[in-house]
This record gives sequence, C-alpha cells and structure tokens, in this order.
Amino acid sequence: MASADTSLSVFRFPFKAMGSACEVVLAAHSEIEAQSQVQMAKTEVMRIERKYSRYISDSIVTKVNQNAGLAPVACDDETWALFQYASKLHAQSGGLFDITSGALRQAWNFKTAELPSSDKLEALRVKLGWQKVSLQNRQITLPIAGMEIDLGGFGKEYAADRAAQVLQGQGVTSGYVNLAGDMRFLGPKPSGEPWMIGIQDPRQTDQVIATLPMTSGGLATSGDYERYFELDGQRYCHVLNPLTGWPVKHWRTVSVTAPATVVAGCTSTMAMLMEEDGLAFLQATGFDFLAIDCKGKVYVRQ
Amino acid sequence: MCAKVLMLMSLLALQACSHIQPVAAWQKGNLALPEMTFDDDPLERGFKEHTYTSKEASSGGSSVGGGGCGCN
Amino acid sequence: MVHRSAEVAVAAIKQNFNLPELGIALLGAAMSLPCIMLDAQAETAPEKGTLSFKYLNYKERQQVTGQAGNSSGWTDSQSGASAYDDRVRVKATASSVLLPLNSDWSLSGTLVTDSVSGASPAYHTQALSGLKDFRRAMDTSLTRYLPNGKLALGLGYSGENDYISRAVSLLATQASEDKNTTWTAGVGFQRDLINPANQMVVGEKKRGADWLLGVTQVVSMNDIVQFNLGYYNGRGYFSDPYKIYDERPKRREHQTFQARWNHHFSELSGTSRLAYRYYTDTWGIRSHTLDTEWVQRLGSDWRITPQLRLYSQNAARFFVEVDPRIAPFPPSPLPNALHFSEDQRLSAFGAITLGLKVTRQLSLDTSMDVKVEQYGQKAAWKFTGAGSQGLAPFYARSIQVGFTHSF
Repeated sequence: MASADTSLSVFRFPFKAMGSACEVVLAAHSEIEAQSQVQMAKTEVMRIERKYSRYISDSIVTKVNQNAGLAPVACDDETWALFQYASKLHAQSGGLFDITSGALRQAWNFKTAELPSSDKLEALRVKLGWQKVSLQNRQITLPIAGMEIDLGGFGKEYAADRAAQVLQGQGVTSGYVNLAGDMRFLGPKPSGEPWMIGIQDPRQTDQVIATLPMTSGGLATSGDYERYFELDGQRYCHVLNPLTGWPVKHWRTVSVTAPATVVAGCTSTMAMLMEEDGLAFLQATGFDFLAIDCKGKVYVRQ
Repeated sequence: MCAKVLMLMSLLALQACSHIQPVAAWQKGNLALPEMTFDDDPLERGFKEHTYTSKEASSGGSSVGGGGCGCN
Repeated sequence: MVHRSAEVAVAAIKQNFNLPELGIALLGAAMSLPCIMLDAQAETAPEKGTLSFKYLNYKERQQVTGQAGNSSGWTDSQSGASAYDDRVRVKATASSVLLPLNSDWSLSGTLVTDSVSGASPAYHTQALSGLKDFRRAMDTSLTRYLPNGKLALGLGYSGENDYISRAVSLLATQASEDKNTTWTAGVGFQRDLINPANQMVVGEKKRGADWLLGVTQVVSMNDIVQFNLGYYNGRGYFSDPYKIYDERPKRREHQTFQARWNHHFSELSGTSRLAYRYYTDTWGIRSHTLDTEWVQRLGSDWRITPQLRLYSQNAARFFVEVDPRIAPFPPSPLPNALHFSEDQRLSAFGAITLGLKVTRQLSLDTSMDVKVEQYGQKAAWKFTGAGSQGLAPFYARSIQVGFTHSF
C-alpha cells in the first residue's frame, strides 16, 4: 500500500441475507464499478445460503436432515470439505463444537420464554453427537431419525470469507464484508487507515463497548444477546452445549480476530462453549480477542 | 566483470518472468517446506563454508560477515 | 484448488503466521475449505525460540608424492604402510540459540569451537609440520522485523592462538507486497590480527569489507530462485607464515555470482536443489562451483538427502608450480617474483564431494540429523584444461551430527 489513491470513493451496500442485516463496504473508482463487484459477492452469499440453510427446503442440509435414520446423502467437494472441517472442530473442542446440536431446537424455542422439561432433553440426548454420524465415500449418514445438523455455527463466517475472496478476485483491495457482525476485511481505507469497527455492548445493544482497528483478516463475535429469553432474572441464550443440552452462561460476548473469519467465528463459539475454560483457550490460540464475562469483566488481548 | 554480466542477465530473466502468475499466500504450502528455503540449516552452512575456504581458494556467495580464521 | 498434505499445510501456516500450536491447528483445519484465502502476514519475530547443536568430525588425508613428478603413492617396503599421510583432523562443535524478544525483535547467537590437530604441508604437499590449535568463534545478531522485511546487525569474534578476527555486519531484506520477491543487501567489515607461533611475522593485520546484493523470487507454487552478487575488498597480510615460500599480494578483491533454484516435485515428495557459483579474484583465480541436492521425504518424519558438489578452479597468478626435475623439493620462486606461493589451495584443480544427510523429525519441535561426506581434490578433475601438475590428490571425510529444538 504505497500511497492513497484519491480517485477511490467508499461505497456502502446494505442487503438482507441469512435472516440478518448484511453489508458490503468497498472502495472503487465509480459506483457502477462498485455495484458490479458487490453483485458478485452477494450472489456468492446467496448461493451459500440456498445450499446450506436448514430453513430452505432444497438445501443440502435440509436433505441430510430429512434422510436422518433413512439413507446416506452424497456430498459434493464443498459440502464434503465443510463436514471435514466440522469433524476437526468437534475433535479440537472435545465434542463441544457439534453441528448435530441442531436437534436442540426441538427443545429450545427462543420465541417463548419456556424451559424444556428434563424428559424432553433426555429424549433428545440420543439425537446428539457428531461421533455418531457416518462420513464415508463422500456420503453423510445421520443414523437416528430426528437428528439434525445445523451449519449456523460457521455458515455465515464461511460465506463472509467466500464473498471476500470473490471481491479480492475482482481486484478490491479496500473494504469489508459484514454478514450480521461476522466480517472479513480486504484492506484498509483508501487513505491507508484501518476501518474502526465497534463491538456491540452485550447489555446495551445500541451502544459500542470497544472499537477495533481492522485492515485484514476476519472478525467474528459470539454473544448471548443475539437470540435469548430471560426468565426469573436468568438469561438463556442460543449457544447450546450439546453435552448438557443447556445454554452457556459464562460469557456475555466473545469477539475474535483471525486470518480467516471462519476461524475467528469457530474460536469465539468454542470459547463461549468452554465457559470458564474459554479464557485459557483464547489465550492459547494466539489470536487477538475481546471477551466480557457474565459479571461484566472485560478481557482483552491485542 | 563477468560476475556482473551474469547478474544482469539473471535480472533480465527475472523481469521476463514477471509474466508468471503471482503466487498467493494460501498457495505457498510447498514453498514453506524447509527444503524449499535457502538456509534451513545455518550450522551446517557454517561448517561447510569454513571447511571449503580452508582447502579451496574461493569464498563467498550468499552471505556477509562471519569472522575469518587463520586459514589464509 | 490445491490439495496439500497435512505437514505441508502446517509448514505453510507456521511460516506465514506466528502463532502458538493451537492457533496453527485451528488455522490448519480451515485450510481444507475451498479457497478460504489467508492473507500474507507481515514478517514478525518467530513465535518460538530455537536451540541447535551440531558436531563435526573431519579428517583429511593425502598421498605423499613418490618418484619425481609421479604422484602415485609408494609403499614402505619394511612396514608395509602406504604413504597416505593424515593431514588435518578437526573436531568442531557449534551451538546456536535464537530468542524472540517480542514481536518485532529477535536475538541470536552462535558459538563454535574447533580443535584442529594433525599436519599441514609447508610447501605444495610436502614437509608436513604438526599443528595443534584450538579456535573459538562467537557470532551474535540482533534482528528488527519491519512490515515487509527485516534489518539485522551482526557482530563476530574468532580467536585462536595465532589469529584473531573481528567482524561486524548489516543485512537488510525487503519483500514485495505479495511476498513473492525479496531483495537482500548486506555489508560486512572484518579486522584480523595475525601473530603466528613461529614468529615469522609479528602483529600483522588484515582488513576486509564484503558486500552482497541478492534477489529471491517465487516463480510458482513449487519453484523458487535466488540470485546473489558479492564483492569483497581486502588489504593487509594474506600470506601464510607457516609456508616456506609464501609472499602474497597485500590486496585481494573478489567477485561472486550465485544462482540457486529449488524445485518441489509434489507427486514424489521430493525437492531438487541446485546452486551454481562463479568466482573471480584479483589473484587470477576463477572458479566454478556446482552444488546439487535431492531431498526425499519418507513419511512425515524422515528426510534423506544425497548431495553432489563439483568444483573447479585455476591457479593463482603467482602460484609456483611443482618442478618435476627437483620434486619433491620445493622450487624456489623466480628471482624477480614479487609474489609467490606454493600453497596447494591456490593451485589449479577440481574437487568432488559426495554426501548423504538423513534428518528425523522427533516431534513438532525437535529434529535430529546425521550427515556423512567424502571429498576428493585432484588436479585431473579440473573442468577444463590441465590442473597443476605434480600435486597429490587430497581426500577428506566428514561426519556431522546435529540436533535442533524449538521452545
């Protein structure tokens, strides 16, 4: 980055995808150039959503879930690579990061403030566990009916990395992709200065608790404020521990920066799942992070 | 003089090679292997340089500094 | 899409990202995702320190010249011993440590001790006189890491009972934004003090400066080349006080050009390494060096590397050739000669080295290596033209054992 290119202007393109507010911010010589670049990035995000969302009827994830307890489902290269990645994460997190925890939505519905009965959770136990899933010959088999996989744990982050790669292929060297807070950066502002990204205060969500300067790599945040309900003064959030069936409680928010967004996202999710042990884990990764625990204490490494 | 000519020719060759596709960071797996670098065993290089300068007239090539020794 | 084996992925991450083991593992897991595009990182001090140790056992031998001009060995009819004289024997140990101080600075140090014993010829290859010497050399270097390169300041000291050398050097590297091109520039200054045991001369000095300019270029995912240009300028005492007729110029300049190419053969898990160096100096010596190696990976823990080196040089302008009429006695230099030397090192010859190195990775952080080498130097092996006549071939074998650990 030798000198600032003063003919570049920054353009912002908000859009909706994956059920959330997204945006692409990039620097280009003209709005038309920017629009065509963003269109390709949006197309890639939509492609991944259509292929991997469990809410879309002809996605591969829906197909796998419908075939639970029935038959194996063939996977293409991309899907196979994502399942391999999920396997490695499952192993690296001691079973905490588990994409079969999708079945827990049968017990936890964050629209009503109701705790599931222990019978219901016990019945679900048999449907949880990535170690039960068979991955052979590029086919995935969920052995028990009612098992559900959910790529929500790294789907948005993966899409952010892929969209950024599309933009980089178009020659974009300044800007970022933001999919509901999971971000991938393509380079600093045209002036050479970093993008100043505000981290949402987990308890006052219209306020910013910290600002991080970002120029490259990925930034992802896991928090207990995205989907939750509160009952008797206790918050129950959408990050569910597959071994206990219950939401995690120790962290209000964990933000991680890493060379790829998908790694940042999995690291922040794993830290949330590890609860008290999450801090030592974050420190051992070497990645920069900002974490706030249930008492409001802030931990940072930069 | 001959050494300079060779270097100039190499630089021209490099310039011609600028038509080659730049290699991106995530493609540099093989290049990171120790055998693909140029100085993966500095102690071996140290012994090598020292023993060859003690029995041959030539020295130098890819490094500077390094104390001399009594093998004039 | 590139399919890489696990150890190659880890090697790439370790080189491009300075992270502890867990970070490397998490990044490594993501490498299998299609084109996930990891950015090149700025160069920083290594995450881990390194401790290395190497031991060298080196032994020379040389045939003693028999009949006039005939350099085949003779046998002592009484004892049956063949006249291969053991020349120099060296036992050397080298230890080095690399310490990252923080993300921008690192410090490294090397300590080498040589114990040399044996015989060294006083002229050509004859009248071997015993020598026993002990040398200790220390080098230290401080490196500052910058966004696209680094700067290293080095200090060196080498001392033996008759020779002290002090050196300082500065090396700078600058990489392009995509890290595919790296320029290197370096300069070094040396000051030596010579006080030979035989007191032929007292308090002689030698000063030198050497310069380096180089460029390293990534040509493809499996190819990397490097070109280096070197220049040296020295003034002072270059003669060898232990040799009978030895009066060398008080100046020496040399230039070197070096080209290197490493190519990785993925399907074979092997790498070829080629290096060529051209050397020319103001004493009239020109030489060619060709170094070739093949590194073969066996499994994830072993590497085996056969090596071949070919070398050829012509004689210094003032080298006094063997006179077959009076051999083995040293010829006197010409009466009006300003400079003269009968040091075999300045004669015309070719040399071949055959080597084999085996490396074993004991863990992610530790490795061991063993290398054996056989060296032969013969006038007849000079690439083109005739070598210096009447000089006996000279052989050396060496064994090296090394160990390195990151912490």
